[in-house]
Amino acid sequence: MEPHPVIDVQSLRKQYGEHVVLDDVTLQVAEGEVAAVIGPSGAGKSTMLRCLNLLEKPDGGRFRVQDTTIDASAPIRPKDVKQLRRSLGMVFQSFNLFPHLTVLRNVALPQERVLGRSRAEAEARGMELLERVGLADKPAQYPSRCSGGQQQRIAIARALALDPEVMLFDEPTSSLDPELGLEVLAVMRELATEGMTMVVVTHEMQFARDVSDHLIVMAHGGIIEQGKPEQIFSDPHHARTRRFLRAVLDR
Amino acid sequence: MTPEVLLSILQGLPTTLVLTAGALALGALGGIPLVLLRRSPVALIRLPVRLLIEVLRGIPPIVWLFLIFFGLPSLGVRLGPLTAGILGMGAISAAYLAEIYRGGLAAVNQGQYEASMALGMSTPDMMSRIVGPQVVRVSVPAVATYGIGLLKDSSIAFTIGVNEMLYFASSESRATTDAIGPFLTVAAVYILLSVLSAWGARTLNARLRRRVAR
Repeated sequence: MEPHPVIDVQSLRKQYGEHVVLDDVTLQVAEGEVAAVIGPSGAGKSTMLRCLNLLEKPDGGRFRVQDTTIDASAPIRPKDVKQLRRSLGMVFQSFNLFPHLTVLRNVALPQERVLGRSRAEAEARGMELLERVGLADKPAQYPSRCSGGQQQRIAIARALALDPEVMLFDEPTSSLDPELGLEVLAVMRELATEGMTMVVVTHEMQFARDVSDHLIVMAHGGIIEQGKPEQIFSDPHHARTRRFLRAVLDR
Repeated sequence: MTPEVLLSILQGLPTTLVLTAGALALGALGGIPLVLLRRSPVALIRLPVRLLIEVLRGIPPIVWLFLIFFGLPSLGVRLGPLTAGILGMGAISAAYLAEIYRGGLAAVNQGQYEASMALGMSTPDMMSRIVGPQVVRVSVPAVATYGIGLLKDSSIAFTIGVNEMLYFASSESRATTDAIGPFLTVAAVYILLSVLSAWGARTLNARLRRRVAR
């Protein structure tokens, strides 16, 4: 285990009423590491990710991202929420671009409001990132005029523009045609190569196997297995992992 | 219908427009705090505001105008007819527009809030930069329909002595002992204004919609 992981989650628990959706989740992600989270739907993968930036409030356990520690048993201070979200970028399954803003404004506005950058500065940085995700010809378009794959790449640029230390991806390709998913995966691959720390909830087994350094298998709200992806893919220890992998790989 | 009668009635057009625009502007602004408080998680705030909206909408406009113009002076507040008209119609508009905004807010996808929060935007920024503009856009048709209704209802202010179009139509009628011509003329002017406003609202809406069409 790395001496000082960027993300350190201890015994995280989340429940809706009686229904426990996350139970005793413990994991670490080292700097520059790509962690892929896989498992059947309803396993709690997205909930775990959403707890990390407090879109869901955990009910138990604690976690640390860089220098921000969140303890579910104590009241959460607004200052910590702000600092936490400052260090995390999030990409959603449904993109969630702002439909009333142009592509460039989508990427620039958060920089202006959150980091206090000037409009010129934010738009220059925005153009730089749009270029990087292959959309330098789109700044004046509205998101509705872009394909799903393009929208997701814009969403990635929007998150990167705030210079996060970790990027969280919540099934980034699940609502895309396979072909459009590829262009998003290519951008993610490049990010990984550049050393970005990433946590990726995904159903893309190829991506999980080829790109991730750390594979986390979840089922029934808990982690049933984690480790090196090649090891888990070739020789899963847990019967549930075996069943899940067989189901997704044999299709 | 004679040109003299039409010209006489048109003297009231600026007042009709000021009254309508003033009340609509007041309502458009006043509706914002009303809808935000109406959605407060604190019942002690939410319930009184809900009651206020019901009261504003539940009392006929003419009764409101009488209460403000004839009633307030007995409490020591004396307002001119036009001011009373704008305030009264504006307060009622705020309640109606708050309800229109409420529908607009419900139409904004939850993902818009989540993305704003995940990006670290503050709640005021999220509401004013992300959610608000989208609510305005989806609310345009309903607000325009309300505005056109308001244009016609502004004639009620005649009863408290506002010199708007109906006032001049009525004086013309009395002066010429023509009981129908002036009123048909003012009716035609209202129809023309309504058609123009509806056309303007459609154009605005189409322009906004073209961008955000999903």
